Amino acid sequence: MDRTEIIEKIKTTINDCFPDMDAKSLEENSVINTETSIDSMGFVLIICKLEAFFDIRIPERQWQKLSTLGDVADAIEKRLPKA
Amino acid sequence: MRYRDFDDMLKNKADSLPDHAALRYGEKTWTFRELYEAVCRKAEEYRASGKTCLGILADGSPDCVISLFGAAKAGLQLVMLDAALPDEAYPPLLAYTDVDILWGDPDLTEELAPHLGKGVTDGAGKVLFFTSGTTSRSKAVELTQHSLCQSAWNGSSLLPLSEDDTLLCLLPLGHVFGFVCGLLWGLSCGAAVALGRGPRHYADDCLYYRPTAVSVVPLLLGFLLKASALDPELKLILIGAGDCPDAILRAAKMTGARVAFGYGLTETSSGVALSLEDDPFAMTVCPDDTVTLAEDGEILIRVPTCVMQGYYKRPDDTAAVLKDGVLYTGDLGRFDENGLLHVTGRKKDILVLSDGTKLYLPEYEGQLSAALGNPELAVVLKEGRPVLICQDTAGEDADPSEKKAAVLKALAPLMKSLPRGQQITDVVFSASPLPRTATGKIKRYELGALL
Repeated sequence: MDRTEIIEKIKTTINDCFPDMDAKSLEENSVINTETSIDSMGFVLIICKLEAFFDIRIPERQWQKLSTLGDVADAIEKRLPKA
Repeated sequence: MRYRDFDDMLKNKADSLPDHAALRYGEKTWTFRELYEAVCRKAEEYRASGKTCLGILADGSPDCVISLFGAAKAGLQLVMLDAALPDEAYPPLLAYTDVDILWGDPDLTEELAPHLGKGVTDGAGKVLFFTSGTTSRSKAVELTQHSLCQSAWNGSSLLPLSEDDTLLCLLPLGHVFGFVCGLLWGLSCGAAVALGRGPRHYADDCLYYRPTAVSVVPLLLGFLLKASALDPELKLILIGAGDCPDAILRAAKMTGARVAFGYGLTETSSGVALSLEDDPFAMTVCPDDTVTLAEDGEILIRVPTCVMQGYYKRPDDTAAVLKDGVLYTGDLGRFDENGLLHVTGRKKDILVLSDGTKLYLPEYEGQLSAALGNPELAVVLKEGRPVLICQDTAGEDADPSEKKAAVLKALAPLMKSLPRGQQITDVVFSASPLPRTATGKIKRYELGALL
């Protein structure tokens, strides 16, 4: 799965968790907390769903550092098996 | 039963309920005897280490619980640290509190090793909790094992658990509400405490452990309700550490569980008053507390058994709020015709967020002003989350979304250094300067109209 597909999956997951939100307009540098009004519990929900989908585990200590959509994509990409 | 300290509580339970479950974590269970034996072994390790002040990056795991009780038994000062802070937040906290040994994530403790302090000479019995706020100037509240045990008794005398109960502990132990109402409350009553398995299990821990009681902050309760994650057998939900929206309260009551609301402060080792009847905001004052109201309605608390020793190394800050044994809370309240306490607002420039943490506005707004070069701003709460209101310096003709994006971009470095719940979630522009009193203070009660 390439980076574009990962970004799309993140957007889809955000939309699944928060159907009222238009996640399509988010960009890599969009700050998830400030530009989506997703609270910290919502963020937990999204990360858990992404971990399950990609079959990866992002250490909880790293979650605080995931600020933008791109940060989340980086964290996923880094943990995916190399093709 | 009142206990002198953690060791007194654990030993008593190990003697009286040796084979009863004390801690549960996943598939594993520790009886009170096994827990106490593990704590005694850990105490020996800490004694042998020669260290005097343990900083605990409290992740709520069994190892964390056993280590903190062990270190307490060995006479170390405990410093409870929130495990979810940004890494750069820890060094000043460690230096301030003299931590000379750390417990927590091995990578992080190794990273922080160069920042350890020199230890203490008089730390036995002391337990420090940070008042949650912006991190650089956080104050550590000096409590004691004794005051925390008294607080557990004080709350459980109104809201007792039985030995047949299981209390689910989902809250961070680095916050006093989580520590007392998520851990000590259960253990001191002889109930089993089921330790949450971390944030990724928030949605299934309740169904997994099938607890009879849980203590939560409003944000977490909202999440659990939305995820239908509360077990039907749950009998008691204790909410604390922040204002709870009516919609969440109503939804909680629909589960059939008894819903109680608690009011307390870190400075009083947690609970001061609890709601026992239908109205969750009408609270009975706990037996050890004497609550009076100042002329302006400020809640004043006298509670010799539970009140803090002071803010660690901050005598001036202590003197400002603790006068002749009375704690000036900065909260406003009233008593109703039945003598029940209602908290009506806040006198201090503090916002209490829906995750239970606090924002100290003068400091926070100062940081925002510095980042934006705009002194005309204020922070308000919208649905429990911080929103920035600032005077529009770009002009009415500028594109609103571009203006907002520019502000958020300028704030990005600061926001990245803050816990997620404290980050600005929206920006609202005011065409005119913010409303102020004659002495220049922002009229915060008028800001809501700008949202």
